[in-house]
Amino acid sequence: MTVPLLALDGVRKSFAQRRGGAAVQAVAGVSLNLAAGETLGLVGETGCGKSTLARLALRLLEPSGGRILFDGQDITTAGPAALLAIRRRMQAVFQDPLASLNPRMRIADILAEPFRVHRTTPRGGAAARIAELLAFVGLEGIDTRRLPAQFSGGQLQRIAIARALALEPALIVADEPTSALDPSVQAQIVNLLLHVQRARGIAYLLISHDLEVVGHVADRIAVMYLGVIVELAPTGHLLREAWHPYAQALLSAAPTLAARRDRSWQRILLGGDLPNPADAPSGCRFHPRCPIAREACRREVPELRPVGSQGRYVACHLAPAETAVLGAAIGRGRRGGARMQAREGTT
Amino acid sequence: MILSVRDLRIRFGHAAAAPFAVDGLDFDVSAGEIFVIIGESGSGKSLTGLSVLGLLPQGAVASGSIRFDGQELLNQPEAVLRPLRGGRIGVVYQDPLSAMNPVWPVGEQIAEVLRAHGLAGRREAARRSVELLERVHIPDAPRIALAYPHEISGGMRQRAMIAMALACGPRMLIADEPTTALDVTIKAQILELLSELRRELALTVVLITHDMGVVAELADRILVMYAGKVAELGPAAQIMNRPSHPYTQALLFSATMSEAPAKADLPAIRGTAPPIEARPAGCRFHPRCPQAAADCREAAPNLRRLGDVLLACHYPLLNGDAARPGCAP
Amino acid sequence: MSGTASSVTAHTTRLSSTGWPGRVLLIVAWIIAAALAVFALMPHLVAPYDPIFLDVVDRLRAPGLSHPFGTDEGGRDILSRVIYGTRYSLGVAVAIVIVAALIGILYGAAAGMSSRRTDDLLMRIVDLFFGIPALVLALALAAAIGRGLDTVVLSLAVVWWPGYARLVRGEVLRLRERPHVEAARALGVGTWSLLFRHILPFVVQPVNVRITTDIGYALIAVTALSFLGLGAESPTPEWGLLIRDSRPYFGSAWWYLVFPGVMVMVTATVCSIIGDGLAGSEASSRGA
Repeated sequence: MTVPLLALDGVRKSFAQRRGGAAVQAVAGVSLNLAAGETLGLVGETGCGKSTLARLALRLLEPSGGRILFDGQDITTAGPAALLAIRRRMQAVFQDPLASLNPRMRIADILAEPFRVHRTTPRGGAAARIAELLAFVGLEGIDTRRLPAQFSGGQLQRIAIARALALEPALIVADEPTSALDPSVQAQIVNLLLHVQRARGIAYLLISHDLEVVGHVADRIAVMYLGVIVELAPTGHLLREAWHPYAQALLSAAPTLAARRDRSWQRILLGGDLPNPADAPSGCRFHPRCPIAREACRREVPELRPVGSQGRYVACHLAPAETAVLGAAIGRGRRGGARMQAREGTT
Repeated sequence: MILSVRDLRIRFGHAAAAPFAVDGLDFDVSAGEIFVIIGESGSGKSLTGLSVLGLLPQGAVASGSIRFDGQELLNQPEAVLRPLRGGRIGVVYQDPLSAMNPVWPVGEQIAEVLRAHGLAGRREAARRSVELLERVHIPDAPRIALAYPHEISGGMRQRAMIAMALACGPRMLIADEPTTALDVTIKAQILELLSELRRELALTVVLITHDMGVVAELADRILVMYAGKVAELGPAAQIMNRPSHPYTQALLFSATMSEAPAKADLPAIRGTAPPIEARPAGCRFHPRCPQAAADCREAAPNLRRLGDVLLACHYPLLNGDAARPGCAP
Repeated sequence: MSGTASSVTAHTTRLSSTGWPGRVLLIVAWIIAAALAVFALMPHLVAPYDPIFLDVVDRLRAPGLSHPFGTDEGGRDILSRVIYGTRYSLGVAVAIVIVAALIGILYGAAAGMSSRRTDDLLMRIVDLFFGIPALVLALALAAAIGRGLDTVVLSLAVVWWPGYARLVRGEVLRLRERPHVEAARALGVGTWSLLFRHILPFVVQPVNVRITTDIGYALIAVTALSFLGLGAESPTPEWGLLIRDSRPYFGSAWWYLVFPGVMVMVTATVCSIIGDGLAGSEASSRGA
């Protein structure tokens, strides 16, 4: 097997709480591989640790345990010089484009910063390269002497993407890149991300709570719950037939528009809220909210294990034997295709 | 008609040159329906919702007419509006954490609404507040009633907020982005709750959102707003299945990405909704419209009837399909 | 949606911020501040007399045409002394605050950027400084290195900088969490560049507000120390010293006490009003 571009190996992160108290394990042992040119979607709800994981991968946070490898090189404890070299190849795009650009810097300076920081002068000079980048992200001829506040959210996200592309990275970690944008602008940014990938062969670690975006862009999807990966599967497989009960609940909570229009699908409504990560449940972390939990789920921690030959992984004692049928039903229901077609015919 | 809005115009300041953030809106809401106002940043949807209860931000000037049960509400004195707020009309906000008072327990805040409207004494109000929390399916309601807003989860807070809005047995709820700040599984719970309340209490709900999923799920009728004006107004089923306005279609596309062939380019519209002070002449959508023609640039389309739908477009989509070509099985 | 909300807030702040009486007051305060600056920098252009010229004939003369603020026991023109005093009283107050702010900014930025443990240690040291009473320190320093305005600057700056250290550290910690700082780190921006390009520019405004208000407080402290005999020495026309020197003549020559006192009061008030004005414009620029 070839060396993955990014490999997380048992990565953990705990945050000490103020005023003593047990440390919060935001990420509790996550192992993931990302191949060059691949898009791995990471979905989960607020507090599941997906943004923390993104920051660990970017080494913006120091992991409490485990290893992070970039292109085979262990960067878990890389010093400033080694990290600078890695950052050339691993860039980030964040959720709120207005907040993630320095409001006092002109667009020209924002886009020149990567060259300044890494002490490189691109071929043809920085100005020409900036113009080329802007054209590439669809902002040809904007006035780069202006400040971020003078642009719209969609334009700013394009600028943030241009900045991330400046050093021609191999990987972009994108944390909710469309969530802060208006719906009619989201599709533009999704198209741009796809265009960038096709043209430059960049890999994405795409973190989002929006299954529509992840379902369209990602090759594989990892579902995170309370600091652990509960299921990892190629996108089509996960959307059609999720095996982990939490992944099923997540999918059934956000059916496609067609299914919603029909009001035909059945939702799995999870009881309660996400438990406090400082006091994570024993055994399977999902068991208190799981509709099919057994005695064993209370005691034994399920490992994320490979199942079948299609590159699927699931961390559930009962999957897929006792979950696949429901998973397939949810997959059909949330697509709502058949009913919609019938309705279309009659209206 | 429980709510009738006629020629509603809202702008900031009295200057003749000040542009209208909401620019001539007409719509009716029938009793018992879920009426959804959908739009993006700068569409004026939130101002429209706020104007019903006279909760517009300082400096906003409204004209036109808003009638609730035949009673005029627009620009009425506080003495008229105060008993309606939280009384016959309940309000649910996007962010319950900032809409609630952090220094009082949740139950006390609900009780306060009851007392303020003179519906219950101190002890009775406390008892009723627990009942209301139970009504919105908060488990362990007596304990939650004593908790402070920051001590409970976002989903619980939104439920408590709804309980507060229901306290005086309103006839209508105005919900401004009630699920936007919530996670999908929690959002699902709140949507179920709203539709249950509508069914069982015969509530009228005016829901303001930019989330097409919420619209598809709950709406009986939809008002699509763009740049302060009506783009399309009509029955939800028809608009969701066969949008006539190119803008509605674009919104639907962005909500159905995963239905497109994986990694294929999405049919996105270009540009961004214009800021209030820079709205284009003619049809306000024309710079972004994939099928704009010369007259779209010159003349603003009038609202006209097309079947059950009211529409402002010179060239409506005659066969506007919400589903993307090529992806239906 | 978020766009609508923020534009609405911007509108309300703009419309509800200080009405016209507040604005007029602010303009008056700035005019007085400009006059004070002229007094401090070029007193010889404004003052009618030499502030230390003795004229025994004109002792303790009441305010009149030749001496609008009257004269003191040495026949010196009080108006001139008050004008020249600006340089000493206000100048010393400004020096104290600037020295304190510079130390505090460096220290606070260092604490805010360092690891949690170092930060804790640095802030405990700040707490120690907070415990020092200014008066006792001034007395000790006066005993050790002699009294004078330099002693005043030293002792007040020592007790003043911890306030800036705390303010700046808090702002740095807050700003470190801002997405644009995180984005810069992801880009590979180093610590120094992060601090000077992406964090400190946003600390300038709250520090400015604090400096302006603090100058007023420092002025009162300076004059108080001089009044107690720990600061300026005769015949320096420092306001606190003028008040001290006027005490024996209070019953007979009210102007000797009143005019320096009014100068202290007016200057401190002007600082407070301008500080409020800056804080207001900071709030609205944050809101927008």
